[in-house]
Amino acid sequence: MSADARTDDSRDLREAFRQWRAHRPFWGGLLLTLAGAEILLTEKASLKVVLHIGMQGLAGYLLPTMMLLCGLLILFNPAQRLFYSLLGILLSLGTWLTSNLGGFFVGLLLGAVGSCLAFGWLPDQKPRRRLLRREPV
Amino acid sequence: MASSPDATASNGSTPETPESGSAANGQDRRGRVRLRRAAVMAVPATAVAAGLMILTAQGALGVQFAISGMPFTVTATELNGTGFEQFGGLDNMAEDSPNAGDTGGQVLIVTSAIKNATLDHLCQSVDLGGTNLLITAGSGANKVQASHLTTDSTELSGDASFDNIEIGNDASTLDKAGVQGPKGVFSQQADTVRIANLRQTNYATTAAVFKLPGLKLRFSDQGC
Repeated sequence: MSADARTDDSRDLREAFRQWRAHRPFWGGLLLTLAGAEILLTEKASLKVVLHIGMQGLAGYLLPTMMLLCGLLILFNPAQRLFYSLLGILLSLGTWLTSNLGGFFVGLLLGAVGSCLAFGWLPDQKPRRRLLRREPV
Repeated sequence: MASSPDATASNGSTPETPESGSAANGQDRRGRVRLRRAAVMAVPATAVAAGLMILTAQGALGVQFAISGMPFTVTATELNGTGFEQFGGLDNMAEDSPNAGDTGGQVLIVTSAIKNATLDHLCQSVDLGGTNLLITAGSGANKVQASHLTTDSTELSGDASFDNIEIGNDASTLDKAGVQGPKGVFSQQADTVRIANLRQTNYATTAAVFKLPGLKLRFSDQGC
């Protein structure tokens, strides 16, 4: 559309990003990463109290951290996406018990949706009709 | 892109060759979410999530809490506890917290620790600017139960009665709820505590186990 108005550099960058995105479950990984970050943000208990409670308290931090890592790994190592997304969904569901009801439900929802998207993603699909029409020739 | 219904776009015969195979015909062969594949995971996950919530609402499952950052209000018509401790302290906010204001990121708080507590008509609300996130639980016979409940509060009011209370201990020598405060700080402890019409403004609550029967979470104009 307004592509000619942009400089070549930014167009190349956008195209490169589009290609990069096309070869990995981008939204799945991104949502799972955001979910982990959101749950971590809702956790502000002083570390002293957490250490006092022990392993159970630590799990509240451990699970969302693992979610965040799984999300990043889905983005940067998409070949292993099945394992990461399975781990991701289990962790997401686990945060309901360990971390503020899954970051007040928001993080749990994001994590579950992200994991499912990553799990359902397949590479090398035929382009959709709608996309074909829009593509510049 | 991800959510559009594309189950009919192509049959599933495309061989799964991640990344490497796509170099030749690269441009248009994008990866995509197949809805049916995603559903394989989404359906059981939804079922498990629903199961967790139902179990939690029935109080069969303990949920562990660890929150703060923003002050929130907790009310209960009655609190009964065994093993009670209370001492003063200072809570630090996360660095550069937007809630710091002119406090320098520190709040003076009273830490109350209760070994085993039951609460009737628990209500918890957080002011999110305009609307309140409201959580209620535990009415009638199904009371909220918590073990190793620790709250950092700035305000506490109610009608209290204590058994075997010791006032004026050093906070580091407390032993009734298993939490120790800093040395040289005033504290008190008691074997049992009963507070009616409890109202607290808290900055942090932690509990090893928090059972919430009849859990209801909703947004509301009014806080507790």
